[in-house]
Amino acid sequence: MIPTHYFLVLSAILFTIGVLGVLTRKNGITIFMSIELMVNAVNLTFLAYARQFHQTHGLIFVFFIMAIAAAEAAVGLAIFISLFHHRDTIDVDEANLMHW
Amino acid sequence: MEFAIFFFFAAIAVIFALVVVLHRNPVVGALSLVASFFALAVMYVLLEAPFLAALQIIVYAGAIMVLFLFVIMLLNLQHVAEPATRPVQQFLGYLTAAAFGIGLIYFVLKYAVFAALPKGPFLANARVLGIDIFQAYVFPFEMVSILLLAAIVGALVMSGRSMKGGRAAIGNEVPR
Amino acid sequence: MGHAFDATDITLSIVKIAIVLIMMLQITPIMVWVERRGSALIQDRPGPNRVGPLGLLQSFADALKFILKEDIIPSGAHKWLYTLAPALGLFPALTTIAVVPWGRGFLLHERLFLGRRLFAGGRWFEPVVADVSVGLLVVFALASLSVYGITTAGWASNNKYSLFGGIRASAQMISYELSLTLAAVSALLVAGSLRLTDVVWQQTGSFVLFNTIKLPAWNVFSPAMWLSFIIFTVSGFAETNRLPFDFAEAEAELVAGYHTEYSSMKFALFFMSEYMAMGTMSALITTLYLGGWDIPWYHEPPTFLGFILSALCFLAKVSFLMFVFVWVRWTIPRLKYDILMRIGWKIFLPLAFLNIVLVAAFIAAGWI
Repeated sequence: MIPTHYFLVLSAILFTIGVLGVLTRKNGITIFMSIELMVNAVNLTFLAYARQFHQTHGLIFVFFIMAIAAAEAAVGLAIFISLFHHRDTIDVDEANLMHW
Repeated sequence: MEFAIFFFFAAIAVIFALVVVLHRNPVVGALSLVASFFALAVMYVLLEAPFLAALQIIVYAGAIMVLFLFVIMLLNLQHVAEPATRPVQQFLGYLTAAAFGIGLIYFVLKYAVFAALPKGPFLANARVLGIDIFQAYVFPFEMVSILLLAAIVGALVMSGRSMKGGRAAIGNEVPR
Repeated sequence: MGHAFDATDITLSIVKIAIVLIMMLQITPIMVWVERRGSALIQDRPGPNRVGPLGLLQSFADALKFILKEDIIPSGAHKWLYTLAPALGLFPALTTIAVVPWGRGFLLHERLFLGRRLFAGGRWFEPVVADVSVGLLVVFALASLSVYGITTAGWASNNKYSLFGGIRASAQMISYELSLTLAAVSALLVAGSLRLTDVVWQQTGSFVLFNTIKLPAWNVFSPAMWLSFIIFTVSGFAETNRLPFDFAEAEAELVAGYHTEYSSMKFALFFMSEYMAMGTMSALITTLYLGGWDIPWYHEPPTFLGFILSALCFLAKVSFLMFVFVWVRWTIPRLKYDILMRIGWKIFLPLAFLNIVLVAAFIAAGWI
């Protein structure tokens, strides 16, 4: 049996990589993929704790997160398609209409 | 044996996650993310949740990432040059991420190291999960279904063809 | 997993994997011959009859040709992904079969072999590579990965026709995956388990219809399941990109679809994965609806003989379904792309939902 903190450290590393992607990239879709990576890191934490405490609630949370991630991906990508049609780019710095 | 599997797939997950973040080509990034998710599914099996491992592949690899790949290919994004991030932002990004990561790992190792796992098998098969979802969590479950419906409508409205200035050639073939 | 996982288990697993892998690799040459001779039979012409008796060695000649051809990588292609794509396509086709049971389990008795005691205390041999508790979900997880090989191939070739072929094929596979999964849900509702060995066990035995005919208790004969069987089979044809749904490589419109730019062994890999996907789909239809390895009107004993007979029966059912695949290909013309999508989303998907409600109602009423 692998101890729980191994999974927690792996999850922390993946989450950090996701943070790095969001902070340093400009391509909207890559940023979006980094966010998906962070969501998955959180899922891993949920499952690790679910096994540690023998609770199914963590698994059900992951189940709901997956459903919501699917909805999020559909809407998010639709926004990028729309942005691309208007601006011919998905560089997030160009989407600055609401910028003061 | 279990540790060997863990470290092998942990390495795969981390390496492909780095490819997603560092590679210029979004198609390569999307495929790497699929590989990373696949390695995470193996982690779920190690955590005695095979049901969620299968769902992970079906939902993330089979549905969400296919959508990403479609959008990248149809918008022909690999030809759109991504402008370089300013060096200052680059430096601060790496610094912040590194600090954040080190802090996270430090606190995990300080507060979340458990002495032992509880005895006995962890019962988390499809039957147990189904009973939980349709009894304790039935209201959130219905909410999620409404959310998904709203997302479908939202995606249709956002990516509709009536937008002005659509691109020629395959840019117009946006899935609706 | 009732006992410890020891060397005997590993050996038995390797033997099972070897058997399944060899069978899967044989599918392509045999099916190439069946397809070419079968099409000739249906179109009333001789077909390939020069290489070997009845053209039986034609497949080997084809394979030799593939190996000897020049392997071309187009200059504009993305080299890594172009090379990776055939492997990505082969992976789900080759691995899905691992969770499908292909025979009646039997007891290996303890025996002496070269002075060593084998199978101490008897060992149960279950003829399935991985009898996982979420078998059916694993099947759909791997099936959903089969999109990547095609899409990647289409994109990495840097060719409009390839890209369109890839996009069409994956759109089609995603659409029909839904009705495929929902149709299979009814089978697992009836079995009450996601494990495929349970699904098969539930179909053994027989029932008497209208007090006259004694039918095997296969799902296809069940009054609630025939609709699901039809949906699953048709979606299976679409999922494997076979005619009448082969838009991925509609020659007249798209040159050859996603593998237009591929040559030599890379093309052969796509060819192989197509036939293997066909074999896997036949095995799945057999397992879910045609009783798996169950021999009709016969109770298989848990012995080696029972195992061999049931495995042969499974093989016979799969072979028949593969022949149906060929038969349909040379009988029904290709549909139009928009019609295919319309049928998928507006007919099969609602029907699959209706079917789940129907089966659930049957179960709730206690009729199944």
